[in-house]
Amino acid sequence: MRVPSVPIAKERLKTLLVSDRIQCTPDTADRLTQDLYNTVSKYIEIKPENFNIEITRNDIHIKYTGESN
Amino acid sequence: MGEVIVITSGKGGVGKTTTTANIGIGLSKLGKKVIVIDTDLGLRNLDVVMGLENRIVYNLVDVIEGKCRLKQALIRDKRFDDLYLLPSAQTRDKTSVSPEQMKKLVDDLRNDFDFILLDCPAGIEQGFQNAIAGADRALVVTTPEVSAIRDADRIIGLLEASGIRNNNLLINRIRIDMVRRGDMMSVDDVTEILAVDLLGVIPDDEHVVIATNQGEPVVGDDCLAGGAYERICRRLLGEEIPIKDFSRPEGFLEKISGLFHRS
Repeated sequence: MRVPSVPIAKERLKTLLVSDRIQCTPDTADRLTQDLYNTVSKYIEIKPENFNIEITRNDIHIKYTGESN
Repeated sequence: MGEVIVITSGKGGVGKTTTTANIGIGLSKLGKKVIVIDTDLGLRNLDVVMGLENRIVYNLVDVIEGKCRLKQALIRDKRFDDLYLLPSAQTRDKTSVSPEQMKKLVDDLRNDFDFILLDCPAGIEQGFQNAIAGADRALVVTTPEVSAIRDADRIIGLLEASGIRNNNLLINRIRIDMVRRGDMMSVDDVTEILAVDLLGVIPDDEHVVIATNQGEPVVGDDCLAGGAYERICRRLLGEEIPIKDFSRPEGFLEKISGLFHRS
């Protein structure tokens, strides 16, 4: 069976939109995520696997899930 | 007071001009007074799609430069009541018109028309800035492809930065068969990425190519795209019509039950 191409399209699009929206490379976006994680972790107990950022055109959403302790 | 709507996309070739023509004609068939304006200076196309290319005397640039009165440049489409075209210039470059001049031109038309539709050129340069200058709202046309969606996202950002916030999305050339086998992004895939309200979905339909060859509209015709364009027009007039997701199998079942009925 051939693999559907939509998941690839969506993944590529996601990467493109992140860099377009904040006008930086995926690498810079990763560093932004890391910096945000470091900042948030000063005040709230979080784990990297529970921490997620989502960049839309107008907002950056910081999401953390699960119990912190 | 007429409403000024710009039809835009960023990427070229996704169906802006065909959409402008069919929505313009569709709205006029529903009894509205409509003018469609081709703002693509140097690459005149809307007149050809509408089959009015032999009737051009004056154009948009002539009006702006005062070579003729606005009314003299308007072409009346005899096939429909109250549908007019203001064609673009074929020989001018895009700097012959400024955003301020475009805004004044569309504002002058507001008293005479219910809808003023602006067919925007591809790209994000001066032609785009001219086209959006006088617009109240935008219809962003995209196809279910990575490059078209990416450009649509940029366009939505630029529209919002210019204070145009009442924007809607049109997804063009959806292919049901490809969505079903996972080789084309679905309506849901696209709308979850682009954060504007969906106004309509137009399936890929060879009737559009045939109609465009002839300089005729498809809106209202008994074909998939014709029905889709008519529903888009009705939604623009405030009717609540659910949006068909052309990837779901209901249509197939309807067809089968239709066959069943006939026999």
